[in-house]
Amino acid sequence: MKFIKQSPLFLLLLVSGFLLTLIAIVGKDNIYDEQEYDPLKAPLLSVVFTGINENLYPWQLLQSKEETEVMAEIESGAEDESNEPAAGSPEVTKAEPSPEASLKPSAAPSSSPAAVPTNAPDPTPVPYGEERPAPLRESTEEEYLNHISADIYGDVGILKAATYDFVTVDESYFDDALFIGDSRTVGLRDYTDLSEHADFYCETSLTIYKVMEENFKGLGTIEEALGAKDYGKIYIMVGINELGRGTTEDFMAKYTEVVDRLHELEPEAKIIIQGIMRVSGEKSESDAIFNNSNINARNRAIATLADNETIFYIDVNEVVCDEEGNLNGDYTFDQIHLLGVYDDLWKQFLLSHGIE
Amino acid sequence: MVSFAGLTFIFRFLPIFLIIYYVVPSRYKDMVLLFGSYIFYAVGDPYFIVLLIFLTLLNYFVGKKMKGLAEGFEIHDWQKIKQKKLLIAIVAMDICVLVLFKGLSTFVDNSLLPLGISFYLFKMISYQADLYRGEIWEKPDFKETALYFSLFPQVVSGPIMRYNEGECGEKRSYSPEQFEDGLKYFAAGLGMKVLLADKLAILWNDLQMIGFRSISTPLAWLGAAGYSLQLYFDFWGYSLMSSGLLVMLGFDFIENFHHPYASRSIGEFYRRWHMTLGSFFRDYVYIPMGGSRCRRSRLVFNLAVVWVLTGIWHGNGFNFVLWGLILGILIILEKLFYGKKLSSIPVLGNLYVLLLIPLSWVVFAITDLKQLGIYFGRLFPFIGGAGVAVNAQDIVKYLQDYGIFFAAGILLCIPAVFDFLEKHRKNPLVILLLFIVFWCCVYFLSCSEGNPFMYLKF
Repeated sequence: MKFIKQSPLFLLLLVSGFLLTLIAIVGKDNIYDEQEYDPLKAPLLSVVFTGINENLYPWQLLQSKEETEVMAEIESGAEDESNEPAAGSPEVTKAEPSPEASLKPSAAPSSSPAAVPTNAPDPTPVPYGEERPAPLRESTEEEYLNHISADIYGDVGILKAATYDFVTVDESYFDDALFIGDSRTVGLRDYTDLSEHADFYCETSLTIYKVMEENFKGLGTIEEALGAKDYGKIYIMVGINELGRGTTEDFMAKYTEVVDRLHELEPEAKIIIQGIMRVSGEKSESDAIFNNSNINARNRAIATLADNETIFYIDVNEVVCDEEGNLNGDYTFDQIHLLGVYDDLWKQFLLSHGIE
Repeated sequence: MVSFAGLTFIFRFLPIFLIIYYVVPSRYKDMVLLFGSYIFYAVGDPYFIVLLIFLTLLNYFVGKKMKGLAEGFEIHDWQKIKQKKLLIAIVAMDICVLVLFKGLSTFVDNSLLPLGISFYLFKMISYQADLYRGEIWEKPDFKETALYFSLFPQVVSGPIMRYNEGECGEKRSYSPEQFEDGLKYFAAGLGMKVLLADKLAILWNDLQMIGFRSISTPLAWLGAAGYSLQLYFDFWGYSLMSSGLLVMLGFDFIENFHHPYASRSIGEFYRRWHMTLGSFFRDYVYIPMGGSRCRRSRLVFNLAVVWVLTGIWHGNGFNFVLWGLILGILIILEKLFYGKKLSSIPVLGNLYVLLLIPLSWVVFAITDLKQLGIYFGRLFPFIGGAGVAVNAQDIVKYLQDYGIFFAAGILLCIPAVFDFLEKHRKNPLVILLLFIVFWCCVYFLSCSEGNPFMYLKF
């Protein structure tokens, strides 16, 4: 009793530490089975905290594992299939447990990979979403384990996208444009005057996995945005934050799902997929995950979605990279983001890549 | 592991060490602490531990010899001369080693800077000077000397404690209350580092990411204020963790910061900021040179020397010399002209400090002089620092994102707030606050250490 009076904080920390460890032990093969930790460097209880970061709370131990996973997915929008490297075909899009789920066809196995048929009327001669190239191969387990994004599509998408004749436009072109993106797009919004014309739904650390669920500060969700205004162009650039997550297939499956969903919500809009901006050579050479080889592989994948009718692919790397294809070191301080001054290069690039 | 604000230290090294330390009898505690400190150092710097041990041996034997010369009832002149020669030789050697490795790390490779060398060599110099002056009474014991130089809570970044400030293992006091107090300081320091300094660091990083040319003038000022708070909580937090650990081990608390931002002059600020470094320069450089009891010109010279040395000690760039010079000039001006007057007018003195210190930190922060010029241009646009692609609304966004950290930081800069919490540290609400702060820190550390992708957010 005396000790409780003398060292209350020490005792509280000790007891809570034991409790958290206990929770971690019980949950290790249950809700925390995907939480990684290095026993030499961190305590077991750290999985409880990394779990919380992914919307897995200790009390969910009382629920069954399946329920918990569904809950976590709903909350974070994370449909991480990364524990199944290179598992099967990438065509499966999970049925979303959302009110709109009924609008979508269920995830029936399809013969054409990456194709999700939609019921939306499509006036273009080639039915929307068909004739998408299939991957040449599957990612290997080794690639998955080493966080290597496999180049599974080759340059077929890039080449096709490049055949489109883009035109030069003026700023009023962006009056009916919506920009979706991560912190790089935040830079485009804050350091060019494009935001006087276009709407920006962008947020630091945005990923393709979160893009449809994200509640953008003071703006709402993308779905609400598309419901409130008729957009003629939807620009999207995400993908750097999720480079360490899953395989090219996982990323591509989710990207396809998002693009199809955008098309379903705004069938008349042109969707302009922007290739992920590369990082500088200094960063690329020293980082196992955030490097240009991984970025290029994922860009080559998403480029295959371009049909040059509804979906287009453009790549700002053409104007911000050096001869070696790395983000120009002079244009960045942190090796990842353009300095505010150079966001204008991106804007000029967009002005020269209008669609008639 | 060398960072106290890391899971490896908090959950691996520290618990194991503390259990052993508290299980063994008092007379072996120093041995445990010495070995623990060497393990701690070796994990952080496996090669240069050899240098630390070598310098420890050398300083110990020279010190012992010097002390031996002062034994006896009457000390002859030849003894004094020999003592002085020894002192000059060993201090010169210590300084040469420091200069050598600072030079190597600047001009050859950054990895050639031994961990904590600026701090442990200053302890060695202080040790020799104290021995020479007779401020260390007892004959130095090797174990105590080695422990003083390598004490793990201080070896990496100070505070630069004096030999006399530590007691040997058998004389230290160990009690649950003292352990609890130490733990509280540690938790408070951890919170300052992880929840304030590390968050505010993102603001400064953002400004660099945007490029100084494109930040608005209000954001430039917010950045300067943010950097001032970041640096403060980073180092005060570290110092509290360090001293908290010492208290947990039975030592006295070593104060390194005493509410510097509440000062009314720059001179006062540096008597309250990194106090152990300030008092080192005062006792071992400034006063031996004559201090302030001399001619005006000599006083100016003494202060200039101290501040240029302080600048050089802090870093390798020219900006650090510039930073030291600016502070030196301000302190000289205060000493000669307006210092006393300033301190007597409450608000004016405070405003003077709160305006000039953040500006001096900008000089400290930006190593590239051209960039430094651009930043000052943004701070004072009327002197010709036109921005490019400036977003005039940026301040709104950053105030929204960082307002809470500024509010908490400014609150903790008010002496009464921290003193109130310290005084009522046995109050259950304060204990609860520290409990929450601790686990919040563990949350952020878990998310950033365990999984690098969680931390890197673009």
